[in-house]
Amino acid sequence: MMPLLPYVNEYDTPECETLAETAKRSIRTPDSLGLDRCIQCGACTASCPAARFTDYSPRQLVKRVLENDWSLLEDESIWSCFYCYSCNLRCPRNNSPVTIVQVLRQMAVNRGIGLEKLAYFVEIGEYLAENGASRVPGPGLKNMERDLGERWTGFKRDLDSVRAELGLSPGDVRDTKGEIRAILEGTGYFEREKWIRAGTGRDAELPPEYVSHNSPGHEKTGAEFKKNDCIKGDLSFETDRDCSGSEALIV
Amino acid sequence: MKPIETVPDQKLLLFKSCMVGQEYPGVEAATRYVFDRLGVDWFISEEQSCCTGIGHYTDLFEGLTTTAIAARNFAVARKCGYPNITCLCSTCYAVNKEACELLNTNDEVREKVNSIFREKGLDELVYEKGDMDPRANFYHAVEILLSKVDKISESSVLDFSGIRAAAHHACHYYKVKYKDVIGNPENPQLIDDIAAACGADIVRWYEDRTLTCGMGFSQLHLNKNTSLQVTKAKLDSLKNAGVELMIHMCPNCHIQYDRYQPVIEKEFGVEYDTVHMNIGQFVALSMGADPYKVCGFQTHSVPLEGFLEKVGAI
Repeated sequence: MMPLLPYVNEYDTPECETLAETAKRSIRTPDSLGLDRCIQCGACTASCPAARFTDYSPRQLVKRVLENDWSLLEDESIWSCFYCYSCNLRCPRNNSPVTIVQVLRQMAVNRGIGLEKLAYFVEIGEYLAENGASRVPGPGLKNMERDLGERWTGFKRDLDSVRAELGLSPGDVRDTKGEIRAILEGTGYFEREKWIRAGTGRDAELPPEYVSHNSPGHEKTGAEFKKNDCIKGDLSFETDRDCSGSEALIV
Repeated sequence: MKPIETVPDQKLLLFKSCMVGQEYPGVEAATRYVFDRLGVDWFISEEQSCCTGIGHYTDLFEGLTTTAIAARNFAVARKCGYPNITCLCSTCYAVNKEACELLNTNDEVREKVNSIFREKGLDELVYEKGDMDPRANFYHAVEILLSKVDKISESSVLDFSGIRAAAHHACHYYKVKYKDVIGNPENPQLIDDIAAACGADIVRWYEDRTLTCGMGFSQLHLNKNTSLQVTKAKLDSLKNAGVELMIHMCPNCHIQYDRYQPVIEKEFGVEYDTVHMNIGQFVALSMGADPYKVCGFQTHSVPLEGFLEKVGAI
């Protein structure tokens, strides 16, 4: 497999000097993100289903983001979040670890980390382009078949007739006139898909712009991927006055 | 907080959900049945696509793709004259609301999305700032039901007295845009109030009431053991509280509880007596709808026949 250049995802992961700045500028996080106001109180971790059953800790994650610890991108624990947004609701400082971890995963993905996790779901894109709907992808269906057995697979076989009995159209197919495919082409989704497949050895065809011309074995560090157009001056964080955020929820 | 008086009953685009359509189509059929009987003006467009929620929250789709697909669905809603997007799935609700906020507040993203539409000859999809209002144009079906709770109570024909029921409010309804929840997001009571109006003996608080269902998008598939431990914690709480009917509002939670309860029983050597349904199915049932031809209970994994006999529905 050819070495890959980092994938560019400028809206989820704008290229910045620090993890914190990337998180704040990402469209995945709210404008009012209270990252710099974190007081390490641990309300997030106390509310977190992943923290209850794994070693994931949103409080630690936020601390490491504020310390600009780039090794977070290679930390398997970032893949444990359930995206349940309990931390988003409970944070008294209007921080949102759940959206920050979404940015970290995308930053990891840009560097080729965790692609196998995305590859599991990669059929969703083509299915959406074709049918206008999403469904659990092939590997997920196999997972569910093993778990759920004949009662479920039997129902899935009869889905069209059940839908008809309920007065619904036979299959869940939408009339999108090819517009979804056109949009996915326009946003560059299909290039991303090729890149994911190539990065997991599932498809060797890759657009030339993604093939690295660096000598094999050269591993880029986080700093090499960064542009310096994001931060003016030193690396200190924004003050509360610069980013006042919105009012926190008082219950 | 979203005032209940502001919830509309006209020009609602009933937003098709992929997981409802493919796993629990009775949720859509039951909601249509109930909306008709409550005098709600709703419409379904076959042109509306998936919100991209599954792809977005498994990290497959980036935010730009999700936002562009949402902008197209907003154009569909406006074109058919039903701009009040009303979701059956909490993730559709959150994804659409967030995309609308982003399109209204981020000029760069809005211009990029519009440039893609123009480049592809889809000019009619172009989104102008303020075309949709993130607060006034987006609802979950449960909010519409709550706004009609008196009429639901009058229309209830089944006797649910003595049925211990409890609610699971979907995380992506009350934890993402928590300021737009009807009631207190630390203790949402929408489902409880509706079920109580139908005569159920509602258990308004139980341990871990606000714990997620455990589906966690990629978690059910990639970290299944953790995913099922979370679900088990919730099912254990319901068992301890003596809950026989759990009512939810999102097909992802529905899959996790109904499909995976038998798996958890087998894997963890436990037994549960709880049955599961969506609030739309529950209200339809209370109004006398057919459990199979309207509510679609034949697609459930945990059999409901014992429960249906007990309440006199079959």
